[in-house]
Amino acid sequence: MTPSNGIGMIEVRGGVMLRADPARESCFTVVHHQDDMAHLGDEYPPTPASQREKLHTDFNNEIQSLEIAAQTLVDFPDAPWVLRTELARQCWDETRHARLCLIRLEAKGGYKGEFPIINQEWGVVCRFDSLAARLAVQNRLFEGGSLDVLQELVGMWADVGDHDTSDVTDAIIADEVRHVGFGNEWLDEIRKANPRDFLKALAAMNELGLIATALAPAIESEMPHDVAVNNEDRARAGFST
Amino acid sequence: MGLSVRERGDCVSTFRWIEVRLMETLASWVPTTPEMEVKLLFGAHIWDAAQHADWLGKRTHELRLAMHHGTEPSSEYVALLAELAETAETPKRVVGFYDAVLPDLLARFSSYLERVDQLLDAPTLRILDRITSDVGRMTAESRSLRDELPALGLVEGDWLSGFRNRLAAMGDVVQYRPRRSTEAQPA
Repeated sequence: MTPSNGIGMIEVRGGVMLRADPARESCFTVVHHQDDMAHLGDEYPPTPASQREKLHTDFNNEIQSLEIAAQTLVDFPDAPWVLRTELARQCWDETRHARLCLIRLEAKGGYKGEFPIINQEWGVVCRFDSLAARLAVQNRLFEGGSLDVLQELVGMWADVGDHDTSDVTDAIIADEVRHVGFGNEWLDEIRKANPRDFLKALAAMNELGLIATALAPAIESEMPHDVAVNNEDRARAGFST
Repeated sequence: MGLSVRERGDCVSTFRWIEVRLMETLASWVPTTPEMEVKLLFGAHIWDAAQHADWLGKRTHELRLAMHHGTEPSSEYVALLAELAETAETPKRVVGFYDAVLPDLLARFSSYLERVDQLLDAPTLRILDRITSDVGRMTAESRSLRDELPALGLVEGDWLSGFRNRLAAMGDVVQYRPRRSTEAQPA
């Protein structure tokens, strides 16, 4: 029997069911609502503490992306082999990204556990029990969105004079293009080969809207402005413009 | 000339099955291992195991099996891998994987290489060489992490030697298909 790690579900705000948290070291304070994160302010350019919080969050986000790809390998042992190799490669990429974020965090005097973390992306994506839904929500929607957000951060880090973090962020985007790309490619395959499975992806996207409403923070978002769309990288990842 | 094409197919497809299982084991451990550095070590090596399985799976096709065919090893070996996969303690995961299962797999490669013609089966040899090199790097990375965090190498008493002995005692774990009447006896 294929290994299974038995991670269950938890109920959070509004009766929303999420996949239970992945394991974290005791140095971390794990929260379940965005309102409980540090939220060090929206001023631009960001303060040194706000920069560290950003990198600390990015570090945990990369870890979550690793965990989601790994859990998808575990939960779908019968997925096509080529797709499994894409997920395996994504695992390696996300470990490198996490290490890079931690190196940049430590270069600024930060450390693991300095700020609260939230594993909401993991909890939302891994609640879905269909491969099509996971690819739609994680690879197409969340990672697709990261192409835009990260592109903005390349400029932000350059603006504060941190060209190392700016370069790291740009390199991460280049890797993420493939993660979004294979998600799009396989969703297209599923749509053609098994429309019923594809409907599960559409249902998941619909459900996501309800979850987002239930989990919406009371505190205003850190990025209240519109994030510019990264059209070039989205096109590379297979989005039509 | 050593093992027949059919027997080599059985061996290579078994190695492929093992590498897929190792990939899945590491993947199952990533979300359940709290130590970040270990999580990252396992996460990176998922890709190594996947590549190994991929190379071996392409070779199975050249040995008259389906592309990416996997042959399940003996039930005893499968059960031992399952036992390790279910281990919750991080030090046992680390030493069990890097100090027992991987060296045992390399020993199985060596045993295979002794039973095949080096020229006849050169494509498989190339693949096993590359995997052996990767396993050396993977093991070195795990050792480096244990040097940094010595608690990761701490398992009770003779757990590791016991686990290693159980692996070694199994001998050949390949489940060969019955020979055809026209085939020669194995070397």
